[in-house]
Amino acid sequence: MEGHQRNLYLYERFNARVLGVSRDDVTTLKYWAKGLGLTFPLLSNVTGFLGVYFHTQPDGKPIFGRRTVIIDKNGIIRYVRDGSPEFKDILLFLKKLNQEGGKP
Amino acid sequence: MNKRRLMVICLMLVVVWLSGCATTQTVQKPYRISPQGTVIWDDEFEFAPPPLGWKLLIPEEGGDINIGFMRMDRGPFPSSTTFAYDEEPFGFSTQFEGREIEFFKRFLFNAILQFQILERKKVQVIGGEGLAVTVEGKDPVKKEKVRAKVIFGKRGERVIGFYITQWRPLDGTYDLSAFEDFDKFFNSFKFLKKSFYETL
Repeated sequence: MEGHQRNLYLYERFNARVLGVSRDDVTTLKYWAKGLGLTFPLLSNVTGFLGVYFHTQPDGKPIFGRRTVIIDKNGIIRYVRDGSPEFKDILLFLKKLNQEGGKP
Repeated sequence: MNKRRLMVICLMLVVVWLSGCATTQTVQKPYRISPQGTVIWDDEFEFAPPPLGWKLLIPEEGGDINIGFMRMDRGPFPSSTTFAYDEEPFGFSTQFEGREIEFFKRFLFNAILQFQILERKKVQVIGGEGLAVTVEGKDPVKKEKVRAKVIFGKRGERVIGFYITQWRPLDGTYDLSAFEDFDKFFNSFKFLKKSFYETL
């Protein structure tokens, strides 16, 4: 998350916005964001339907798996990677997408 | 008997052949030494190597540092010193003052230390402005202490960091010659090309 915060100015340059999604409740996320100094939105999805939608909900576990998803301006998922975010990979992809005119 | 001997020879051949494979495999080093004796790292950084006794730390993919050196110091645990160049120091602010606060929230966060700032001053970092902060942290429970110097500089729009940490038992004495080695490393450091972020 700190890496995303560090790259916000570049996301802005590539017409992209970042959102975090977690199963934690709003109060927990508020404290967490404050502790890390995050200024981008974090979505609380306690019921976990977004995890089911994005296939990041492991069976029988009350957490989401780590997944980075880039959605273009038409709502089409263009990039999916599991695990810790590969920031350079993400930035190159966003740059390419922005040049294509398919703003994320 | 002949069959058994043949089998032993075959096994030996396999072992020799396998060991031959192992010796022909080359590991690509991320650095080379220039004719002037400086280290050229990934064709991106250049610096003077530290004196003998410092061991190179090969960074892990996605790890905390880009280049680092470590040495075990005389004296009981945890007597050791590490210094490093870090392209992505903790925090995110592009201003040094903000970055300093963010950085020290997480610096050595596995150790529960009470930090005290010993010195804080503006410095020149690779031809630009920078900030050097020297701190001492103490852990009264583990009876350990650490002296650290963190130097923030800029590469393009982003903040980069150099730091050295020297651990000692609480009643131990610091060896400031290691900090001189670090300063020589830092003062010799050059960027040979634009960073990934500058090319975006």
